[in-house]
Amino acid sequence: MGLRKDPRAPHHSHARGGALHAGHAALAAWLVLPLVPLVLWAAADRWTAPAVLPQAWGTAGLRDAVDAGAGTGFLRSTVLGLVVAALATPLGAMAGRALATHRVPLGGAVLAVLLSPLVLPPFAVALGLDVLLLRLGVPSPVGVVLLLTVAALPYTTVLMRAAYAAHDRGFEDEARTLGATARQTVFHVQLPLLAPALAGAAFLAFLVGWSDYVVTLLVGGGQLVTLPLLVASAAAATGNEAQVAVLSLSSVLPPLVLLVAVGLVGRRARA
Amino acid sequence: MSTRQRAVLLVLPALVPVAAVVGAALVSAVLLSLGLTPLVGQPELSLDAWRAAAGDLGTATRLSLGIAAAATVLAAGVGLCLALAATAVVRRSRLLGALAALTIPVPHLVGAAAIGLLLADSGFLPRLLGVAPGDWPSLVGGQWWVAVVAEYAWKESAFVALVVGSVLASRARSYDETAALLGAGRWARFRYVTLPLAAPALGVASAVTFVYTLGSYEVAALLGRPYPEPLPVMAVRLAGSIDLAVRPQAAAVAVTTAVLALAAVLLALRALRRLSAWD
Repeated sequence: MGLRKDPRAPHHSHARGGALHAGHAALAAWLVLPLVPLVLWAAADRWTAPAVLPQAWGTAGLRDAVDAGAGTGFLRSTVLGLVVAALATPLGAMAGRALATHRVPLGGAVLAVLLSPLVLPPFAVALGLDVLLLRLGVPSPVGVVLLLTVAALPYTTVLMRAAYAAHDRGFEDEARTLGATARQTVFHVQLPLLAPALAGAAFLAFLVGWSDYVVTLLVGGGQLVTLPLLVASAAAATGNEAQVAVLSLSSVLPPLVLLVAVGLVGRRARA
Repeated sequence: MSTRQRAVLLVLPALVPVAAVVGAALVSAVLLSLGLTPLVGQPELSLDAWRAAAGDLGTATRLSLGIAAAATVLAAGVGLCLALAATAVVRRSRLLGALAALTIPVPHLVGAAAIGLLLADSGFLPRLLGVAPGDWPSLVGGQWWVAVVAEYAWKESAFVALVVGSVLASRARSYDETAALLGAGRWARFRYVTLPLAAPALGVASAVTFVYTLGSYEVAALLGRPYPEPLPVMAVRLAGSIDLAVRPQAAAVAVTTAVLALAAVLLALRALRRLSAWD
């Protein structure tokens, strides 16, 4: 049984199809166009106006980026993202599990507090805490990790709360009936079932640490030079577009690779 | 141990750091802005920092609200179109959904660098259109903050598309088919079926976009003009100043932005409650 067609459709379908294609093309251009100069510049040794394509291709941008410290910056950003994910994912999972059971007193208020970092501007939190951390003598990298973990917790908590709400506890009860210990049940039944959600939560938390700029800038005190700090200082200067492009692309590719990997984990778990 | 106690123990490791960081940051910023915890000199309750910042604070507030509003309207409009195209019953575009998803992990800072390379007077777009750098309007660093708004609209439209698209994909199709079977035309189906179904998700995504844009620093710092400044740029400049006496002013700007963001969220929640009650 087909859908009932709009009676006017035959007269207009051609024009409408054309307009639809034009609309889709415009939307695709809107999404892709900003990334095109980034890709072209990354491989351009010389590209002066008004040429639409680079006049000379090469790896000058890559060389400049490496000279600017892209290697260590990349490493620092990776470690920062991993540490934030390692802290925010289990904490968010535990909080999400507790909130999903509806047994937390004042659950609504607790959730509101856990979500508050989403509302408050990161620069405002960083400025407020900066002086306090200095006075307490907290090392700046520890301060950065603390603030970014707090910034990531809303995402991991909400995601894991939804996952635990949809999670069937029957499997765990069955494992316990069959003689599994509480610990075995968590590690061999609960966590494997929740692997896709945990991977998603860890990805989001990694992204918070990996792509942060303003907290690292304000609290890091210039000691923690991550990839975003390099991108910003290169982009603020003029005449080194190729370097900006290489640095930018190198901070986009790892999350993209992870996104695909997380998608694959999810697909395998569903299969 | 009761299940209630266990639930509390499970939630505390996340709750304590969040409450401590957010609470300490807000209290510390308020105290600093009121002169009670100065970096130099004696603590003394005063509104000096607020008075000193007052003039620029007004301009910065209006500018920040304007940029956030413009970016939110554009992102909501384009995002809704993307969501509709990616979930349509007839001629659904999987490509657009995939492209929007791929834009999500691009950091705003990288987005700003990309928009700079696209819209500057010797950027990719004027070259593509064959416009000489001298004839190209100053979109980057210009009077109308076009590049700044464009970056937020670009990144956040993908976010809106993802949120609205997931709702439409799960709920709208069956209603849409039912309405079509009952003889509703294209426009009627959009107006009375799709739009009301998408509205709550569109509202939430728009509110998130607005609050994010309001408090975000790097895009305006990179693509904006030196003066006037939006709130985050003003606060970070004051906080980085060699003159420690202006730190309380930076705190005043931070408190102002936090209060605005909170007010925006509360207003949005109220509007959304009405929207879903009406739905």
